[in-house]
Amino acid sequence: MTKRVNITINGQPVQARAGQTVLEAATEAGIQIPTLCHHPALEPIGACRICLIEISKFQPLHPACTYRVTEGLTVETHSPRVEKARRFVLELLFSERNHYCMYCPMSGDCELQDLGYMYGLDHWIYPTYTRPFPVDASREYFMMDHNRCVLCRRCVRACSELVANHTLGMRERGAKTMITADLDVPFGESSCVSCGTCLQVCPTGALVDKRSAFMGRNVQTQRTVTTCSQCSLGCGMEVVVRGSHILRLEGAWDAAPNGGLLCQKGRFDPLYDSRARLTRPRIRRNGGWEEVDWQTALATVAGRLANIAPDRLGVVTTGAATNEALYLLAKLAQDRWPAAHLGLWQQALPVRLQPQGMLTDLPVADLILLVGADPVADQPVASFLIKRAVDRGARLVIVDDPQNGLAPFAHQHFGRTQVGEAAQIAARADRPVVVYGAELTPEAAEALIGINGASFIPLEPGVNTRAAAALGFKPASLPTNVEALLLLLGEETPGAPPTGSRTANEVFTVVQASYVSPWTEQADVVLPMATWAERSGHLTNTEGRIQTVNAAIPPTGEARPDWQILSALAEHLGQKVPSSLEELSELAQSQITRS
Amino acid sequence: MGKIKIATDWLAGCAGCHMSLLDIDERIVKLLEAVEFTSSPVTDLKHPPEEGVTVGILEGAISNTHNIEVARQMRERCQFLIAIGDCATFGGIVATRNLVGTQAALQRAYLESETTVDGCIPDSPELGVPLETVTGVDKVVHVDLFIPGCPPSADALFYALSELLAGRVPVVLPPELFRYD
Repeated sequence: MTKRVNITINGQPVQARAGQTVLEAATEAGIQIPTLCHHPALEPIGACRICLIEISKFQPLHPACTYRVTEGLTVETHSPRVEKARRFVLELLFSERNHYCMYCPMSGDCELQDLGYMYGLDHWIYPTYTRPFPVDASREYFMMDHNRCVLCRRCVRACSELVANHTLGMRERGAKTMITADLDVPFGESSCVSCGTCLQVCPTGALVDKRSAFMGRNVQTQRTVTTCSQCSLGCGMEVVVRGSHILRLEGAWDAAPNGGLLCQKGRFDPLYDSRARLTRPRIRRNGGWEEVDWQTALATVAGRLANIAPDRLGVVTTGAATNEALYLLAKLAQDRWPAAHLGLWQQALPVRLQPQGMLTDLPVADLILLVGADPVADQPVASFLIKRAVDRGARLVIVDDPQNGLAPFAHQHFGRTQVGEAAQIAARADRPVVVYGAELTPEAAEALIGINGASFIPLEPGVNTRAAAALGFKPASLPTNVEALLLLLGEETPGAPPTGSRTANEVFTVVQASYVSPWTEQADVVLPMATWAERSGHLTNTEGRIQTVNAAIPPTGEARPDWQILSALAEHLGQKVPSSLEELSELAQSQITRS
Repeated sequence: MGKIKIATDWLAGCAGCHMSLLDIDERIVKLLEAVEFTSSPVTDLKHPPEEGVTVGILEGAISNTHNIEVARQMRERCQFLIAIGDCATFGGIVATRNLVGTQAALQRAYLESETTVDGCIPDSPELGVPLETVTGVDKVVHVDLFIPGCPPSADALFYALSELLAGRVPVVLPPELFRYD
């Protein structure tokens, strides 16, 4: 049990936990101390001095965010002396740079502005600022306006403590201090990985998202908590929406496994997709396309599938479909066509090593052995977590080609054939964690199993390939000996369809997809599918967590969520499947977790 | 007792704060039962009367020597001076000129702009001479009440005037009326 410490805040007795800061103890006791540089996810550094508190008349004021509680401590959080000092600090902050709100995209959502309002700062006594600072818009997705910066160093701390990328730092001294990238290069040319964590923690308009600037304040937006659908980690995130327009994505601080982190793939790329959407079902008639209603499209599919022999149906999916859709797809095929071919258009993990570890094990690992995976490219947030562990002292051993994205951070690097040597090193660690991916060979797996006391964290190559594999989908190319093909592409366009007549003429091809692609151009029936932001359901992450996806915006046009399309198709085929998402989720989940 | 006299004027501003004052809408009829607007940029009389007014209201930043004269005259002729808007309180948008410097700004605006033909920097003796640094009004004269906002809302201005009429002096506006944007 944690030791209790008795302190007094504003005359009110408060029980704090030993080691807590005054700010933490006060917040738990419901006493609000204003802050600016403080962020719950970051180490406190007492940079801004807004949270100053009075310990005694004879001491200077201390920042509450770094001052630790001690038995008998007496604290004043809002005494006249404290309030005067805070106002003084605010006046300095406001007069130092361009903090005029009227043309700032963050006005209304700015922590500095909130403090100005809180203290009724209606003018400042210091000379009006005259020093211009540069604006750096060299990064693709967000920009840095140094004129709005209060030097709280949240971005610097986020970059090093959370993402372990250490791109950001400071240069110059005093009022000339500036946030800088690497050895003072433009952000766009730096080692920045554009994960946007700094953007998410910035309290002012210094870091601004280019896409959502001036598009709406927090009070005008809705937030949907959901799961990122871009890789197998399934990071928790919030979709910030105004009307039916997605403004931006933010990492959910309390979500596992990411704890607030997102990466460029998850935070920015999905919002910049410019591919043409499919908005209405269409069927090929007389050599041309005809847009039809859902009823007609599904009836056409059901009619054609009815005559297909039990072993002549091919079903192939990409790895991004929801648990519910994968479950329905497998069931729909197997109930009627027991010998149907269930293909997965992606690699899946060849073996599963036991005992399986979780990504949350990484912080306590003293050695991380990475085999057959490149998380920097495929699961970037996992690479952040690994680098964080390395910062804390864990050794990183990599068995892969020299191009592996984590290679610059590795203590030791072995070629793919030297997995045995790497395993020997790992076996000598106290708490080794093996992180492995789809390129793990059976021989390497053999060598790894021998590592004493190791836990094994899988990195699935596809978004939901763990669920797909559990539901019987096998990595394979297109089946050739079939009469009908049901392709669930979703938002992916895996390569190009085989040229020639096969998919176009002889094989009846149904494509369920969100975007126009060569595949949809060759199909007989195209069923428009909702995208990641428009569908609800569940995804199984690489650790086996079943995570909830919530629709943030309505589907475009007549597009429908993946599972709804399959459920309607099953109905047309006369199959009985649950019609509610809850029932379906339960069935899918029980089958996925059983295998 | 006669009506309370109010004079307004603008310095380096955009007239937006005066628009906000007019946005008091029909409440201005009621207000006029108790006050008289002696002079303002939007009335026939432009300058505060020599005999003085009770309340002076200034919009806009101090950007040139003319602004200083106007501010000083208003200060001399009023008992209670209110600075309205971000320009009058902080320097506001006009103060962004400080970032490039006055000379560079004049040069760019009057000589180098893409649409300039035979440009020249205005230097008529009737014009105020631009200052090196743009500031809020309080850097030149004493201000009794600051109402920031770009522009301040009509409600904020109406609130301040109503309070003064009721014999109370607002020190800082209540949070719901206190805005920077």
